[in-house]
Amino acid sequence: MSANMYKYDDFDHAFVRDRNIEFADQVARRLSGDITEDQFKPLRLMNGLYLQLHAYMLRIAVPYGVLSSKQMRKFAHIARTYDRDFGHFTTRQNLQFNWVKLAETPKILEELAEVEMHALQTSGNCIRNTTTDQFAGAARDEHSDPRPWAELIRQWSSNHPEFTFLPRKFKIAITGARKDRAAIRVHDIGLHAKPEGFDVYVGGGMGRTPSLGHCIRTGLPGEQLLSYLEACLRVYNRYGRRDNIYKARIKILVAALGPDEYKRQVEEEWARMDQAKVDAPVAEIDRLKSFFPDPEFKAAAFDRVAFERAQTADAAFARWVKNNTNPHKRDDHASVTISLKPVGLPPGDASSAQMDVMADVADAFGYSELRVSHEQNIILPHVHKGDLYELYRQLDAVNLSTANVGKITDMIVCPGLDYCSLANARSIPLAQDISQRFEDAKLSDKIGDLQIKISGCINACGHHHVGHIGILGVDKQGIEFYQILLGGRADEKAALGVITGKGLPAEAVPAAIERVVRLYLDLRTSDDERFIDTLERVGRETFAGALHEPA
Amino acid sequence: MKLLTANRLTDGLTLWYTGTLEAGTWGEDAALASRLSDDDADALLIVWKLRETDVVAPYLIPLTETGTPVQREHVREFVRANGPTIGQTADAIASAHNRADIFEN
Repeated sequence: MSANMYKYDDFDHAFVRDRNIEFADQVARRLSGDITEDQFKPLRLMNGLYLQLHAYMLRIAVPYGVLSSKQMRKFAHIARTYDRDFGHFTTRQNLQFNWVKLAETPKILEELAEVEMHALQTSGNCIRNTTTDQFAGAARDEHSDPRPWAELIRQWSSNHPEFTFLPRKFKIAITGARKDRAAIRVHDIGLHAKPEGFDVYVGGGMGRTPSLGHCIRTGLPGEQLLSYLEACLRVYNRYGRRDNIYKARIKILVAALGPDEYKRQVEEEWARMDQAKVDAPVAEIDRLKSFFPDPEFKAAAFDRVAFERAQTADAAFARWVKNNTNPHKRDDHASVTISLKPVGLPPGDASSAQMDVMADVADAFGYSELRVSHEQNIILPHVHKGDLYELYRQLDAVNLSTANVGKITDMIVCPGLDYCSLANARSIPLAQDISQRFEDAKLSDKIGDLQIKISGCINACGHHHVGHIGILGVDKQGIEFYQILLGGRADEKAALGVITGKGLPAEAVPAAIERVVRLYLDLRTSDDERFIDTLERVGRETFAGALHEPA
Repeated sequence: MKLLTANRLTDGLTLWYTGTLEAGTWGEDAALASRLSDDDADALLIVWKLRETDVVAPYLIPLTETGTPVQREHVREFVRANGPTIGQTADAIASAHNRADIFEN
């Protein structure tokens, strides 16, 4: 069985092959000394290759997080053959290998091309991988499938000559559901696909200057999406600042002009351009949509009694079903999240053996399809409920059955100073300390939906601005300190967290979080009132005192 | 006193300079890194910055009197010398070289 996803045509294959040949030549010239590191660095970054603290890191694009079992198996093979037997899934729904060798990179890219993958637009000041709802095409609350639009944007933005050297990187996210699982308000452009057209949000972002995107258009017809995006990018490309890297993102331009003036300029540009030259023909949009049909859903009758009996007999399975499945548009199916947040290992990591098992279960129970979520988990979007128990057992055998999705231990965490040359402080060890403190399943279930997000520097790869509890690592004269932010959220009621209290040393953070959580449990009016609801009801300041040890 | 460090071009691994101004070699074990006088370190840095087919981005790490990286660089250089402090590859460097972590204090 092959997954229902976009398939390369001759053009795509030739495009990736040509690029790989070009990069192989650039690598050879760097190794022989024909080009300098200064000349080579921008070239390798345009092919997803970074030099980190300990080794080269290759970031591979997983377009809008959609992955086939065949591609997952290729990741396992690369991890085993060229890396140290594991890979790391990222908040951009991509995959990073942390220990690749420069000389072997062309061979890795060749292997990836065999399964229609590459590492383009995973770095550099271009339009990056468009991210979307990990439950696209499956979720019960979806009104419009974002995948064909994400694919349209991918094709339009790939090597787009006008947007290859933007003032800074550019990130687009799309959701098509009532609940925003793609964090669209904290992207350079966020799109909400609705039956009546797109709502377009511009100027969101995290990093040094966090801001929420402003809605500058509603009801934009899909047939005009590309020309409107092009107008948005063109105004940014023309006026975005290039003199100061910290002020170069579109959010700074939108704030400087004001959203109304930015919108006016976009509309003026849009009216002036030859839209028909930019927009995809209706037939092309239909062709892209044809790559994403429903799978041929398994017809077996769903034995509800047997399913409930299995849950009664196996409490761990029952808990996994409750925490790790999402409502599917069909009553007899569910979307399953495989948590990559076990206690004891870095969030988002998977070994080659685990990747192989995920590919196998996708073939056996999930129509060969997988997704990467921006929360750094893996999803099987369509699973027949009658298969859930067997799926659970196979995942459990390789430590992939952690039942903590959306819970306090399901943290977004950047690689931090354990790997990243930009980081100021470590993130992963702190995540582990927090994970261990809330390891007790009963306690974490009682706490319910609570999102902690940790970044090891101001660049906010760990999304700390939109964690219900955000944690930012800073460097105070060589000592790691952590600032706590409260009240952020990345959903349809997006809000930015606010730094609360004084910075804490790493060893004080887990206890501080536990005091905040205990206070929440005391204050909540019912089990259904989530942490973020209580915090918004009583105010952030109520929790400020709990962050510090009582005097 | 200073250490000279870089990443190897071919595989990116962290390297440490062992030797003198006149002769030396690069190795993966930070425990063997030479404590160089400031003058020797500055001179070696100039030499190795030009040898781009061997190493990438060489730089100097200032040391305290006890021979460990100064506080400002301490966490970063501890992690570079010993590998990631957590996860699949934690402790790999120490066990590969049959020793304990270095720059502990």
